[in-house]
Amino acid sequence: MLTLNPQTQKKLRRFRGIKRGYYSFLILVGLMLLTSIGELLVNNRALLVSYDDTWYFPTYADFHPGTDFGLTYGYETNYRDLQQTFEQADNGDFVIMPLIPYSAFENHAPGGIYKPLPPSLELKHYLGTDTTSRDILARLFYGTRIALMFSIAFMVWVYVIGISIGCAMGYFGGVFDLIFQRLIEIWSNIPFLYTVIIVFSVIPSTFAVATRIGILLTVMVLFSWPGMTYYMRTETYKEKTRDYISAARIIGASHSRIIFNHILPNVMSTLVTYMPFTIVGAIGAITALDFLGFGLPAPTPSLGELLKQGTANLRTAPWIVTSAFLTLVTLLTLVTFIGEAVRESFDPKKFTVYK
Amino acid sequence: MSESLLKVRDLKMHFPVKEGIFLRASKFNKAVDGVSLDIAPGETLGLVGESGCGKSTLGRCITRLYQPTAGSIEFRDQDITHLGSNALKPQRQHIQMIFQDPMESLNSRHTVGDIIQEPLIVQNIGDRASRAKRVLELLNIVGLPARSVTRYPFEFSGGQRQRIGIARALALNPKLVICDEPVSALDVSIQSQILNLLIELQQEFNLSYLFIAHDLAVVKHISDRIAIMYLGKIVESGRSEEIYRNAQHPYTQSLIAAIPVPDPHRKVQRQIISGDVPSPIAPPSGCTFHPRCPSAMSRCSQDIPHLDSPMTDKSHLVSCHLMD
Repeated sequence: MLTLNPQTQKKLRRFRGIKRGYYSFLILVGLMLLTSIGELLVNNRALLVSYDDTWYFPTYADFHPGTDFGLTYGYETNYRDLQQTFEQADNGDFVIMPLIPYSAFENHAPGGIYKPLPPSLELKHYLGTDTTSRDILARLFYGTRIALMFSIAFMVWVYVIGISIGCAMGYFGGVFDLIFQRLIEIWSNIPFLYTVIIVFSVIPSTFAVATRIGILLTVMVLFSWPGMTYYMRTETYKEKTRDYISAARIIGASHSRIIFNHILPNVMSTLVTYMPFTIVGAIGAITALDFLGFGLPAPTPSLGELLKQGTANLRTAPWIVTSAFLTLVTLLTLVTFIGEAVRESFDPKKFTVYK
Repeated sequence: MSESLLKVRDLKMHFPVKEGIFLRASKFNKAVDGVSLDIAPGETLGLVGESGCGKSTLGRCITRLYQPTAGSIEFRDQDITHLGSNALKPQRQHIQMIFQDPMESLNSRHTVGDIIQEPLIVQNIGDRASRAKRVLELLNIVGLPARSVTRYPFEFSGGQRQRIGIARALALNPKLVICDEPVSALDVSIQSQILNLLIELQQEFNLSYLFIAHDLAVVKHISDRIAIMYLGKIVESGRSEEIYRNAQHPYTQSLIAAIPVPDPHRKVQRQIISGDVPSPIAPPSGCTFHPRCPSAMSRCSQDIPHLDSPMTDKSHLVSCHLMD
């Protein structure tokens, strides 16, 4: 049974007491839950198809050719058309579509010409479409999901690498510390943006989109972990010289026991404080890269890519940049509010007994 | 003299002072510079000196928190000076330490129960149930209520925290406990409680103490023998009463004269030594005390004095040219 240290409980209570940050946290968690079941909300596949008294749930199924539902084509069913077909036939068959019946990859051009459409309730393009007639709301929704997942994965990796190396530098010190410090100094002088451009001009475009996202994540993590080591190194140096570590060494505790049982729990609050800001940084970075065209590979939905389209069509299709901009601002504001609340509630000066 | 438990011979701890971009050790801080001492089973050796004289460093060398530069530490006739961490681990059971600041020496994220049983876990002693029983036993020994087990250190007062630290030090049934100024961070009223507890525990478990303090009055209360340290060296040592009654070294004399006496009518001739402790990086030549010594002679700045037994009591050692 996990029982929390009363100091930690106090911090959590304080966090709940800071309403702005706490509600931002609830909204963001709600948003993440919503996006994690996003396929049920924003999708061009039906939630439920009732055909010949059989129920189909195509959302998470792989593929239903049109012939399954008495249509003439063998490719993936267009459920929006199917819905209309069933309504016209009126023989008891029906289709329930998600709230937003479009996928993020689908070009839906009623007139056959790809062009941005303004928001339209009738067509259910609630925020309009982008330059290639993809639904903006769907792309924002999945773009947000990818941005959040990407930045959380980014944060986890930066923390794992930064904490391990920073902690080892601080704990073992000496030559190990010296060598890694010099390596990090050299490493952080390599310009990040050029590396990304070079890497993406070298890797072939035949790679799967997921692989390319993975490579982008790796490059970003490789350039970001040194920042984490600075905090960890100094924090570990500081904790290492305190007497409770001496006490642990005198009873014969091993290095791993000292690091994992004593040092890490004591530097945790500093690390937690940095987490939201790391995520804000990652969302900002990935959006900027997308905007420049070196970020997530097409056709991955992304906020930066929408911003790019929007600024290019500012006069003709202002709805693109408006919705993308507002989404980005909301997202960053939420995370920043959380970060400020975390920082305030974890402020060691509020609790420590040390003078 | 009985067989000694701990034998320290000519121990030196020189910390390198690193300078320049390559961090070459250009100078050395001679925190402990040739100290020899013995502690018998059940005996308390009080180690007294000003701040920065190396007394804590000496304690930390004996517990092997620091790797001494030279000299040897023998514990129960085994040389532990150069043991690796695996070979040292069983020896660590016998040498424990009580720290000056109990808040610093207790991990504030662990409960008192976790803190006291950690030595048992690390040394692989007993199972979960027997460890829990032992923790309660130890809490009882140091006079803390059993319900403290699930509490955290910051919920206790200074004296109670020091009791937690003592319970942890006793968990492994040590033979020798290094007390590194265990009462100097406490209120005066609490100091005597903790001192009395230490004395009781010593009688009950036949402990040996190396009792480090900067306050001769505190040491007088608890020590069988006393050693006075100045700038990394022992300048005088001997049986407790002998030192108080018959101090020979000018430094010891001035320390004893500085002990406050609760008698407003008593006039004492204070022997005030001026100035600060010189830097152990560049200690004065000859006798390191000569720049502050009221009775310094010309040879004091040239010849280094050695510990000798000039008195009738042969266990009373003094390192001063005045004795020749």
